Formats: sequence, C-alpha cells, structure tokens
Amino acid sequence: MTKKKEIFSRLSEAVLKFEEDDVRAAATEVLDNNIDPTEAILSGLSDGMNRAGELFRLQEYFVPEILLCADAMEEGLKILRPHIQRNAERGEKGTVILGTVEGDIHAIGKNLVKLMLDAGGFKVHDLGESVPLSRFVEEQGRLGADIVAMSALMTTTMMAMKKAVPMLRECDPGVSIMVGGAPLTREIAEKFGADGYASDAVGAVAEAERLMDLRQV
Amino acid sequence: MNNSERIDVLQRGEKPDKVPFFPLGGNGFALVSNNYPIVTVYNDFETTLQCYRETAVAYDWLYTPYLAYASMGAWEMGGEIRLPDGEFSQAPSIARHPVNSPEEALSLGLPETVLTGMVPRQVEFYKKVLAEPDDIKAWKVICQIEGVFTFASNMAGGSMFFKWLIRRPDAAHHLLGLAVDFMERLARHLKGLFGTERVLLFSGEPATSNALISPKMFAEFALPHTRELHRRLLDMGYRSIFKHICGEQNLNLEHWGTVPLGSPGFASFGHEVDLERAAAIFPGDILVGNLNPSLIQSGSADEVYRAAEKIIEQGKRLPTGFVFAPGCSLPPQSPPENILAMQRALDDFGWY
Repeated sequence: MTKKKEIFSRLSEAVLKFEEDDVRAAATEVLDNNIDPTEAILSGLSDGMNRAGELFRLQEYFVPEILLCADAMEEGLKILRPHIQRNAERGEKGTVILGTVEGDIHAIGKNLVKLMLDAGGFKVHDLGESVPLSRFVEEQGRLGADIVAMSALMTTTMMAMKKAVPMLRECDPGVSIMVGGAPLTREIAEKFGADGYASDAVGAVAEAERLMDLRQV
Repeated sequence: MNNSERIDVLQRGEKPDKVPFFPLGGNGFALVSNNYPIVTVYNDFETTLQCYRETAVAYDWLYTPYLAYASMGAWEMGGEIRLPDGEFSQAPSIARHPVNSPEEALSLGLPETVLTGMVPRQVEFYKKVLAEPDDIKAWKVICQIEGVFTFASNMAGGSMFFKWLIRRPDAAHHLLGLAVDFMERLARHLKGLFGTERVLLFSGEPATSNALISPKMFAEFALPHTRELHRRLLDMGYRSIFKHICGEQNLNLEHWGTVPLGSPGFASFGHEVDLERAAAIFPGDILVGNLNPSLIQSGSADEVYRAAEKIIEQGKRLPTGFVFAPGCSLPPQSPPENILAMQRALDDFGWY
C-alpha cells in the first residue's frame, strides 16, 4: 500500500470509528506529505462517512454513531479545507438547497441528509429549520440549484411541502424537488408533485443521484 | 354500551360490544375543523373542551381530552419553548435547551416545584376536565407523565443527548434520573389533586424510535429508568399507564414488553408495528392502534376506510383487548371525510 493510500485508509477508518484524534493526525500527515487535500477528503473522510452510512442502512449504526462520525469528519475538514485551492473544490455531482419546512424545527434528519449528500459529492446549501416556503423559492431564484430537498417530521408540517412544490415550479420549472421525513411515503411525495423521495439520509444520496441522472437525459 | 362503558369492560378483561376509538391528540383536529388555530389547545381550555366534546359526539369518539406535548422536559427544567404558530405548526417547539454541555447536565438538579413550564397550564386543563360530566368520559382525567428518555433528550437537545449515549453516558444517565424523579414528583402532586382512581397516566416516547437509537441503547439507557418510573407510579396506586410507543420501535418491542404498564395497561403503537406481534409481547395489556396518520391526512376516504377495516379486523381477533386509534397524533388538518371513513369502518366492522 502506498503512503497515500495508507493515510486515506486511516482517515476513512478513523471517521468510521469516530476517532477524532486519529482523524486529526492522519489529516495532518496529508499536508506533511504534500498529498492533494481534495483527494484526501474524497477518498478518506467521505469514504469513511459513506461506510458509516452503509452501516446505518444495515441497522448496525444508528443516529448517535452517525453524529459522532460526522464530528470526526468535521475535524478532518477543519485541517484540510483551508488548503484546498479556490476553484479546485471537490468535483460536485450537483447543487442542493436543503431545509426543514416552515413550522418544523426538527434538525437531526435534515442534518444527516446534509452530511450524507456532502460526503456523496453534492454541494449543499443548508437553509436550516422551519424555513419559510418563500425562502426556499428566493434561494432557488438566487442559486438555481439542481435540487431542492425538503424535510418534515410531522404530518402537519409535511403539508407545507404540498404548498411549496408549485411555488418552486413557478420560480424554476426545471428544478428537481425531493422530500423526506417520517410521515412521508413515496406515494405521498408523488401526490405532492415532488420528483423524488427518500426514507432516510443514505437513501437521499441515491435519490439525489437518480434525479441528477434524469436531469442529464 | 357507550364508549366509556366499553373501556370499563375492556379494563375488566372482557370484550365489549364494539371496538372503541381513541382519538390520539384529537383536540387539534377538533379545533382546526372548527376554524380555531392549534395554539388554542394551550391557551383557551374552554374552547378546546367545547370543540373536543362536540367533535367526540359527532364522530362517536371516546371523550379523552388531555394536554400533552412531546417537547416536555426543556421548559420544565429551565429552558424555553415556542408555542405553535403559523399555518403548519402542530405542537410547541424547543427554543432553548436548559443544558448545553455534559458538565451543565451533571450539575443540573430538580426545580423547586413541579409546577413549572407547561405543568401549571396542564393542571388548569385537568381541573376543567374534572369538572366535565363524568358519564361522558372514559377516565376521570388523563394526565401527562412523559417518557423519561424523551424528557431527558429534550433537556439537552437530541443531537447532543444522542452523542452522550456513547461519549458521556454519565451525563445521559444523570438526566434520565432527573426525568424519573421529576415525573414521580409530578405524579405525586397529581395524586394529591385528583387521587388515582380512574386517572389515566399518558406517556409518549418518540425519542426511543429505532429511527434514532439502537435497541442496545434502548436497553442500556431508556429501559432501566422507564421501568423504575413505572414501578414507582404503580406503587403510588395508579392503575393504568397509557404508553404511546411512538414510531418505528420494532427492535425495542421485546424490551418494552418488560415495562409494567398496570393492570391492565394501554400499549399504543405506531403503524410500523404489527399488532399480532405486539399482542404476543403485551399479553396482559390493552392494545391501541394503529392507523397510519399520514394516510388519514393524505389518503382518499376509500383508502382510509380499507386500511381501517384491516386494522379493526386484526384488532378484534387479538387475545388482548383492543382500542382502534391513529398510530400517532390525529393530524389536525385531516379531511373530515377521512375521519368519517374511520367511523364508517368501525360501524361496519367494529362489532364483536
């Protein structure tokens, strides 16, 4: 194994096992050995986060483990990010505007989606929680994102998505819209007029990739 | 038999003439369908009870008014909440958590009085319920004793609390111990006001969902504290605890089966749980459930009717007692025709 691969493997493993000290040490070695920090993020930190996501899908990891993996990944990013040259950021699969809809302050699910999309190579604009529907529209008008992703945890707040979909389409007919959260199903997402649905954060990455593929057609 | 009599019969371990319907969180629908905002639940009890009473009569519901909220723990222990406002808000949300670090958690003690946060409003609400005619109520009064894991996680905020399950179990256990002690004190206070006869303790536990934590974490953190609290509540003389085991908790179900709920208790499930499996795990309790609330809100009346039929038929066959209910709070904005569809299904299939 080359030195570079060995460091990437350690980064990945340390994120997976949420060992923040190990992440920091390996990230420092990336810089000491003049290894491309962008590649280290993709093949090390993000790889670890993706492996954690797979364990989440298999119900071997749950939210606490994923949150700690994310903390570990963030420790590595703090060290590597300043060394990424402008205009040479990670190759992005697409741009996503993300938020929990108006009236809903639940953040955990949305934050996990952000983490996994980020690790999966998407550029995510996180608008936060209880985002007014007009703000989703304004941000889409400003950023022209590929995907607007909305989260809701309650049956009441999920109805905000139904209202948001035509507002977003009026602003940008070409935007792809995906929704998720505990009360939703694919069927309800379709009824609301959304293009995509994911039941969890790992599924959100696959769904965002599917929507991006459809946009290429 | 009326609905109250049906509950009495179920509590004696017998089958009633017909399956009753428990409108979990039905006050929201009662208000919204009468053009009142959700926040009315928390600040106008006369209006809430009037709407609830009329709605219960119109749809042949059990009359089970209660004032419970899933954010309990933050405000009561020194934080702040925000009451629901706007078009889509359903419930109070936490504006500030009382603790922000393990050290703050470990130094946190109980408040001087349990009459803190939402509790004074709840007590005021309970007193109004107590004054309602007794013959229309299934219980004299229903009081919230929140699930300890949810109460504790609301003190620190879910993300931080969940990390402590791995990084700082001492801080997590401390908050859980506080939750047990707070709830015991609250239950004692309520006993002083209302006694224990025909008082139902209502307890939700959304934060233990397997969408969030593992069954191993449940067993290590939620289970021992929950069992301890329930033992204390039942020792106090309360007969029944209504436990809403909220959301996806299939991996926790066997653990939940070891938590005493009373004689009998009421075990309420989300639509994710199969009632036949639950009946095998809760053989001595009355099962409550579990029509998907999203379907009630977003499905067609025909879809609701057919899904209700399936659950009612399954529930009637259970060896335990059975109460038909939504799998979580009844969505306040549910189309009235879908509520009617549930009642139509009960009329068509709910008779024993």
